[in-house]
Amino acid sequence: MKKLLTMLGALALAVSLAVPVFGAEGKVTYDGKAQQFIFEPGSTHSPTDLFPNFKGVMPGDVLTQKITVKNNRANDVKVKIYLRALGAHEDSVDFLSKLGLMVKKSADNKMEYMFLAAANETAQLTDWVCLGTLYSGGEVNLDVMLAVPAELGNEFQNSIGYLDWEFMIEEFPVEDTDPKPPQTGDNSNPGLWIALFVASASMIVILLIWKKRDKEEEETPLN
Amino acid sequence: MGKIKMKISVIALVAVLLTVMSQATLAYYQTVGKATNVVTSGNIQFMIHEKTDQGTEFPKEGVYIVPGDIVSKQVSIENDCAHPFYLRVKIVYGVNSQELSAEDCFKLNINEEHWELHDGWYYYKGIVSPGETTPNVFSHVEMVGSKIDNSYIGKTLTLTVNAQAVQSENNPISNGNTYTASGWPAE
Repeated sequence: MKKLLTMLGALALAVSLAVPVFGAEGKVTYDGKAQQFIFEPGSTHSPTDLFPNFKGVMPGDVLTQKITVKNNRANDVKVKIYLRALGAHEDSVDFLSKLGLMVKKSADNKMEYMFLAAANETAQLTDWVCLGTLYSGGEVNLDVMLAVPAELGNEFQNSIGYLDWEFMIEEFPVEDTDPKPPQTGDNSNPGLWIALFVASASMIVILLIWKKRDKEEEETPLN
Repeated sequence: MGKIKMKISVIALVAVLLTVMSQATLAYYQTVGKATNVVTSGNIQFMIHEKTDQGTEFPKEGVYIVPGDIVSKQVSIENDCAHPFYLRVKIVYGVNSQELSAEDCFKLNINEEHWELHDGWYYYKGIVSPGETTPNVFSHVEMVGSKIDNSYIGKTLTLTVNAQAVQSENNPISNGNTYTASGWPAE
């Protein structure tokens, strides 16, 4: 435990000093039309894997992974997005408990780390943590760092560790007091337009019927 | 007729307003999605090659020798993984008789340009990159005639090459000496 704490301390220090070098990117996209999340890039181990850079790790490695969380909902809706950790799968605890994991928002977003613990734990992400309120097209970037202790033994060669994260979206209507969302080209409201079309068509039909009846009444001789 | 028209107009207007209002209050939706993230660890793997000066594999069943013979046996090691490593080999001699010793029966032409003896192990003086094969540890074995007398007739002498590797990534060494790397297995 003491070693792990030391490693996590070193990890925090490395994060504060180092300029992270990111490889492949993980992406979480909220697809507003389907009202579901899309996780990329996935891997041979899991179709929803967000950690392409954490493969084949070696003792002493300190690796980084950038994850972009994006809202692809239409302009009339803003979303609050939350993250929580569900921890490691049962058969992964032994391996992942040896590794240190850190999660924070990217420097652009100016927020301290939200998770700093052994990779198998849920720690500060046990409960939902709000990543922010995103308008259409908005995104938030997460920096994830993984520290592998140099003392990691031969028994962990070719190990596979699974850890689950859960994302949640809450949708709210955009209000007048909200900042004006960027124009994404997808600001139509099909339901409203269809309703107006149906109402207009109905009125035209009604007017035509009235006109026809009025004409018939005029042509009918009085008794 | 005018009253009927008025009623229809009011109903149509209310229908339109209800439709618009239902659009305006559509909200507060919740969606949850789970990502299963994966961390995998790497490994170190190598292959020991034993060949003759003809380029053929050294016979697994061994060769017949007489004192003074010089046997062609070229030993090299190939990095068979995705990570670079430091390498060391130990040569162990044996004979299938408790009364005899095999220690001085072999004389090897160790490639000291690339291999350095330290505490009984020959350490490769560098890093073996993925896919790379080291220069030979030795290429010939001389059966020392002065040590192999008649008591060895019919006996089997063995020469075993043991190799060990440790990663070179995140593993600094002192003064270029690969034996100072961390992680060499305890004997």
